[in-house]
Amino acid sequence: MGPLPRTLELFYDVLSPYSWLGFEVLCRYKNIWNINLQLRPSLIGGIMKDSGNQPPALLPRKAQYMRNDIRLLGQHVQIPVQFPKDFFSVILEKGSLSAMRFLTAVSMEHPEMLEKVSRELWMRVWSRDEDISEPQSILAAAEKAGMSTEQARGLLEKISTPDVKNKLKETTEAACKYGAFGLPITVAHLDGQTHMLFGSDRMELLAHLLGEKWMGPVPPAINARL
Amino acid sequence: MGPLPRTLELFYDVLSPYSWLGFEVLCRYKNIWNINLQLRPSLIGGIMKDSGNQPPALLPRKAQYMRNDIRLLGQHVQIPVQFPKDFFSVILEKGSLSAMRFLTAVSMEHPEMLEKVSRELWMRVWSRAAEKAGMSTEQARGLLEKISTPDVKNKLKETTEAACKYGAFGLPITVAHLDGQTHMLFGSDRMELLAHLLGEKWMGPVPPAINARL
Repeated sequence: MGPLPRTLELFYDVLSPYSWLGFEVLCRYKNIWNINLQLRPSLIGGIMKDSGNQPPALLPRKAQYMRNDIRLLGQHVQIPVQFPKDFFSVILEKGSLSAMRFLTAVSMEHPEMLEKVSRELWMRVWSRDEDISEPQSILAAAEKAGMSTEQARGLLEKISTPDVKNKLKETTEAACKYGAFGLPITVAHLDGQTHMLFGSDRMELLAHLLGEKWMGPVPPAINARL
Repeated sequence: MGPLPRTLELFYDVLSPYSWLGFEVLCRYKNIWNINLQLRPSLIGGIMKDSGNQPPALLPRKAQYMRNDIRLLGQHVQIPVQFPKDFFSVILEKGSLSAMRFLTAVSMEHPEMLEKVSRELWMRVWSRAAEKAGMSTEQARGLLEKISTPDVKNKLKETTEAACKYGAFGLPITVAHLDGQTHMLFGSDRMELLAHLLGEKWMGPVPPAINARL
């Protein structure tokens, strides 16, 4: 038997476009590198509050920068990311509480669906400029990911239960314990050490730490493990 | 004759360790990619003030993160960067005004020395491996005298303002002039994206030297 896969935890929030970029890159590499990728739905609002940080978009020059940065990175990483028209309303007013509670419920009951449902929520808010705060919106994303209406509705009912609320809270606190001041964070467990890497732009460094090959953000699929 | 080299402007401050990382990577690629690298000594303090931003190190969790990030990146990029013992005193109290005025004077009078002298200053602040840059004592003294002249003060001010006009809220920024467009990239971690924009090959932060143009 070969060496044991290394565990990577990806803490993310669908409100965060950089989380999407990091998520897709790691999803591409999970079948190439010897890793065990664990997705950890978290609340970026909770992390900001706990760390004393502020969303970068509140600084005008950073907001302006992010528009271009996201656009260029989207092209490079080949993800159809696009700024919503009313960006401030989406990020600062509507938020992502229901969506992240829903993903938490998915992670608890149907973890095999977590990747696809997460992706569909990002596609709504960060590609098609669609709502993710209303129950109907979340159901639509779940169904697009391949969930039956019944399954999706069942999970939606659970989002205001103490179990789900607490699980999201715990995951967010775990990210804070690792030192997060924003998202995404990738936590790599290697040789008894823990490395927390912030941002979608530390994947080449992650490859270096894992002793794996970096083939850019869009690695050839033929290298996939069978 | 081949296509014209594309101009890249690197705005940096020796107070910024991420500026050092970006600087070294671009210096390695300047003889590999078809680019004309122009070094622009700037004042990070001025950029913070003008943009309303704050040094990240003022947020405790960011300061803690930076220590590890710089250490790991230093290993990956192969630069002997190390956090100074009294980091806050260095960054927030001492600052870099004289050093950046000195580099501005170098850029005005001995631009061919700018790369080496910049590196030497980073070595002093951000490493323990300082060496001499090769400037004669006379040359250095002459430049030192110029740092409080209006010409040098103004030039540093202008360069810093130029960075702000490009939208900087921190350093380093790399400004790439391509096909009539201008792209401002912030941070030392946008070099692979820069390669993509230039249509050049990214070979990691330590490219093989044999690919260097002769």
